[in-house]
Formats: sequence, C-alpha cells, structure tokens
Amino acid sequence: MEYILDFAFDRLGADRSPINHPILITECACNPVHSRSKMAELLFDTYGVPSIAFGVDAAFSYTYNQQRGICDKDGLAICSGFNTSHVIPFINGEPVYEACCRTNVGGYHVTDYLKQLLSLKYPHHMSRLTWEKVEDLKMEHCYITLDYASEVKLFQKGVKEAEEKTRCWQLPWTPAPVEEPPSEEEVARKAALKERQGQRLREMAEAKKTSKINELENELKGLEFLIHQLRNVNGIDEQSFLSETGYVSKQEIESAIVKVTQSLRKTKGGQEEIEPDVFNAEKFTLIDIPDNMLTPEQVKEKKRQLFLKTTSEGRQKAKQKRFEEELERERLNKEEEQRRIENPELYLEQLRVKYKDLSEKVDQRKRQKTNGNNGNENNVSGGVGRGERLNAAQKERMRLLATAAFDRGKGEDTFGIKDEDWQLYKKMSKDNDDEDEGPNEDETELARVASKLREIDPTFFPKSEAGSSGTEPPRFRPLTKEDFQILIGVERFRCPEILFHPNLIGIDQAGLDEMVGVSIRRLKSSSQTVEESKCLTNSVLIIGGSCLYPGMSERLEAGIRMIRPCGTPIKILRASDLVLDAWRGASSFASTKHFQRQVFNRTDYYEKGEDWLRQYQLKYTF
Amino acid sequence: MEREVIESEMILPTQFRFKKIQMHEKYTKGQARSRQWKHLKQIIPAENYQNYPPHLPNYVNIESPPSMHPRKQICDITGFEAPYSDPRTHMRYANTEVFKIIRSLPNEYVQSYLALRNAAVVLK
Repeated sequence: MEYILDFAFDRLGADRSPINHPILITECACNPVHSRSKMAELLFDTYGVPSIAFGVDAAFSYTYNQQRGICDKDGLAICSGFNTSHVIPFINGEPVYEACCRTNVGGYHVTDYLKQLLSLKYPHHMSRLTWEKVEDLKMEHCYITLDYASEVKLFQKGVKEAEEKTRCWQLPWTPAPVEEPPSEEEVARKAALKERQGQRLREMAEAKKTSKINELENELKGLEFLIHQLRNVNGIDEQSFLSETGYVSKQEIESAIVKVTQSLRKTKGGQEEIEPDVFNAEKFTLIDIPDNMLTPEQVKEKKRQLFLKTTSEGRQKAKQKRFEEELERERLNKEEEQRRIENPELYLEQLRVKYKDLSEKVDQRKRQKTNGNNGNENNVSGGVGRGERLNAAQKERMRLLATAAFDRGKGEDTFGIKDEDWQLYKKMSKDNDDEDEGPNEDETELARVASKLREIDPTFFPKSEAGSSGTEPPRFRPLTKEDFQILIGVERFRCPEILFHPNLIGIDQAGLDEMVGVSIRRLKSSSQTVEESKCLTNSVLIIGGSCLYPGMSERLEAGIRMIRPCGTPIKILRASDLVLDAWRGASSFASTKHFQRQVFNRTDYYEKGEDWLRQYQLKYTF
Repeated sequence: MEREVIESEMILPTQFRFKKIQMHEKYTKGQARSRQWKHLKQIIPAENYQNYPPHLPNYVNIESPPSMHPRKQICDITGFEAPYSDPRTHMRYANTEVFKIIRSLPNEYVQSYLALRNAAVVLK
C-alpha cells in the first residue's frame, strides 16, 4: 500500500513536504479495525496527512447515482468486485450494514476459472494462456445466460446457434514448410559423390593392405636370411652375431618367423579361405581312432578335438537354419506383396481386420494383467488397492505379506531357522513379475502389422496414439491450423456463472441473486419496517467490474423475481459508470462541507482509541 | 522491494520529499519486510469479534450463508449438466464420450479438475 500511495502522490505532483490535504480512503464494508488503524498510522506518521476519513466504495457509488437520479434513496446496491461481491441495502440514502452480505467470489475467480479450464483443455498451449490474455478474453467474450441449463443444452445438441456462439482464438501459426523432393540431377550428383567417396576409401584400404603385405614379406625374407646366415656362422661367433642382430636365441628368431607368416596369411585373407578347412580336417585326425589305441595324452587331445568339432558343426547348422528362415520370410513377404498387387483393397481390409483382432487380444492381456483397469495408464486409483481384483500370483503375494505381518506377534519367533524361510522374501518382492517378460508373440505380430499398415494406408494411425490425442498435440501428422485454435464455447457463460453459483468452484455461499434475498431477510429481522423492504427491489443498482457482463441485469431480474413474493416491483439499474462511479462519488463527496466535518485527525486517532475507530462510520447524506 | 512491486513496473524514486519517514528509514536493510503484513486469517481472530454483540455487523458475520438452492451438478469437462459421477475419479460427467475422456486422463489432470471445485484429494 505504501508503494501505491508513493506512486499516487508522486504522480499527483506532490513535491512539497508533507501532504497538506485531508484524505478520503475507501474500504470494504465492515473493514476490520486492524486494517483501518494500519492505514491511519501509515497516513499520519509517514505522510503527515492532517486528517482522514473512511467510506465504503459501494455507498459512494450509490449516493452518486442517487444524485444523478438513477436510483431511489431506498434501494439495494449489488457490488461485484475483484475478490468479493457485496449486497448492501440503502434506506434513506444510508447503507444498512446490519443487513448487508458478502460472498467471496469476484472477477479474480472468474478469470482464474477460465484460465484453468482453458489450460486443462489445451495443455499444449498453456504457455500462451497468460493471466492478462485470459482477462482480455473474459472481458471480450464472457456473458451471462438467462438460464444456464437451457443454454448448455444448445451446446450439447450441437445446434447451429451454439456453433455461432463458439468463439475461436487463432494462435499465431505458420504452416510447416513443405519439403520438396530433391530433383533428379541432385540425386544423381549426390549418388556420384557418394560413389566417389566410397571408391577413394576402397583404394586407400587396398593400398594399405598391399603395403602391409610388402612389409611383412620383407621382414620374413630378412628373418630367413638371418637364420641362413646363423647356420653358416660357427659356435663361438654365434653369441656375438646374435647380440648384433638384437635377438637372444635361435628359437626366438624362429618364433618370429612363425608370427610373421601367420599375420601375412591373415592380411592376404581372401585367397587363403580354403586353408582353414584343410586345417580342420587335419585337426580332427584323432577322432576316428579308437581310444584303446591311444596314449593318455592323445585321449585328452581327442576329447578336445571332439568338442571343437561338435561346436563348429553346431555353428554351421545354426547358420544354415538362419539362412533358411530368411528365405522363408522373403518368400512370405513376396507372397503378401503379390496378394496386395492383385487386390489392394481386399488386402488392406484383411490387414485391418487382423490388426483389430490382434490389438484386441493384446488389450485383453494387458487388462488381465492390470486387473481390469481398462488398460489405461490411469491406474493410480486402481493398482493394488483394496477392493481391486487381483490375479492368482498377486493374491499369493498379498497372503504371504499378511501372514508375515501377523505371525510376528504370537509365540516365539522361529523365522529364519530354516533356510526355506528366506525364500519367502524372494516371493514377496516379486510383484507383477509377469510384467517383465518381453513383448509376447501377439505384440510383435501387432507391431509388424501396424508398421505394414502405416506404410500402405495413409488414413491409418495406431490406436494408442489416437487415444492420447486429447491431451497432447498429435505428433503423427503435420500440425494444422486447427491445432492452434482455442475454442471458447460453453466457457463463455460457464465462468461468469460462478457469480450466481459459487459452489461450482467449491465456495459454499449464496450467489448474487440469492444474496438479495438474504439481505432483505436480514433487514426485516433487524427491526426495519416491512414496507421499506418491499420497495427496495424497485431500485437495485449494480456496480463493479464483474457486473459488466452482458445479460447481467436480465439474469438478476429473473433471479430476484424467483425469490421475492409475487407482484413485487423489480427494477435493475446500471450505474452510469460501473467501474469508476465509486471514485466519482467519493470525489464529489470530498468536495462538500459535509466531508470536512467527518474527518478525524492524528490526535483524535491516538486519543479516542480502537473502539472508537471500530465504530467510526461515515454519513453519506446531509 | 517486494516482488509484486517490481512486477507492476512502477518506477519509484527512493527519496520522496513529501514523506516524513522514508521507506529505507522505516525498514533497514536486510529486514524481512513481508513478515509484518498480517494475513486475513490472522487479522480476523485478532479482532475478537466474539466480545461484541452479535447484532452488530462485522467482517465475519456479514458473510453470505450457504446457498438454499439445490446444487448444480455440471460436467467437470464440458460444463453440461451431469447426471453421472465416476466412482473411481469422483469426476462428474455428462455422457459416455466424456466418460471415455475422463478415464484416459492422467491423474494430475483429474486432480486439477477436481481442485477447480475444491474437491481434490489433498495429501497432508
């Protein structure tokens, strides 16, 4: 508040110290004395204001309009503001606070309700729905219906009238750039480029290989020459010769030769495919010879060979099998393709039926797994709660847990003496273990069919994605203009409806029309004459920003007619300016002599005490 | 300065000649300023309304009583009149299509729809 006052005084051009004017402050009806005293202290101590007065905004507004001849001196003010709505009866131009009532619903709640509803309806546009934007939407499009039920029926039936009443807010949207297929020239160019690069790589690999072979061959030659020379050198010189060459012994040289030849063979690769086979045949020499003809070492060797042989054979068989499967699949694919070409429509139909069957099957399985949870991800309230059906495994688990929990108390605890006891934990910890098994056959088949369908049928899209399209932008098709529209239909009158039915947002209080009844009832009980209260409804003034909605007067009239006795004259009057009349009223009030007599100053405030401040009330009439 | 003041983009000098006590004199640096503003919930008990005769109007007793009209049951999603209510999510719905939507909604959405009419499950 201090900042606001700073700002206001600053903008008003107050530059001499201190403020030398009486201040008239508006407040809500029956303002708590704490708020009043805080305000008074702030004004007196910080700003040095000579004197202040407090008054209710609705009363200023009513008086102002009464002076303009819009409303009578006896009447009601319905004032719906930002946070609260008040109904205050006026008798002889004075507000009767004993009979006023307040409901804590106002423009804030309407905007908030609209904002929440829209952001729940369009979660992917939530960032666009700022408070300011929603407030604008509310001001521009919201209205109040005469009868909520019948209006909503129109929308439910989808009548043309309802369509016309639906407003559409187009968010900024640019169509995604359509990708042009690259021209043939470009394709050819790209292919050539790729080919050239491939060629170069191949050449490089070839060059590397030949150079390596050369190297190895040279090394081999060198080593062979070395051995040759070693043979010529006699015993004594052998040591010195070897130390010159860098090798320690003859064996080392030989092993180096073997290594080099092996790697040479490897690098040459392709040409020597046959050799290993020969090796294999050689390797398994011992297999055919009976055991009793062999030495123990040879028996061992034979066993090893046998093992090697079986494994290699097994590998070969598996290879063969895989190859055959591949062939089979290819054949099936070809057959399918053939069928498709022969009769595309029939094929498509068959595929669709198959897809449906499979997806139902999978769904069923899922449902069984999640205990009749309809296969939704929405199983938070479901799950393994009380009253939910469980499958056998889960039941068993629950039983184990229960017995484990209750066993503890009675008798001595023998748990853990036997080893089997510990198995219990294993069983318990297994929750829904069947969930973990990979996708079963049906699911893989389903995935295959779905992918196939997606390929050939442009109208097809998988079910799961279709289901979730309500909550997130559909990703499987390019976004269109419609995805960036925010439609406001029922919300247009649903949101302001909370002023009449606060229980729609969980506030258990009477709405605006009922508040009039409450107020008149309270007036009667506080010993006012019946005649006065009867003609009050002849002058009902509506004030406040939340009364700006079109249809407000009509709705209020209908609502009040329902709760007042038959034949009561009812007149709903709009203030000349719903929003700013309170200020105008206060300003004209402050310029009268009357105001000067009702202000209180700093000494009054500190001497008269809290109780006086509590009872302080402004008189609006003179 | 408080967050709200900064957000409102009021440009205020630090020194006002018309003020007897400047803002920075009243609140020395580092002092939590927001703490001394009492919330409405704190103000009302401090007013001791029970010590005053009940026929005098005060902030609490001028509140409107609960509505006497039958409660309107409207569909949480569409706003149509809702004859049904879902026993699992406790959401009200108008017809089968809405029911399907309700059942496909993730729980957080259900809860925020319920929170709109103050019926959400609050875990404490």
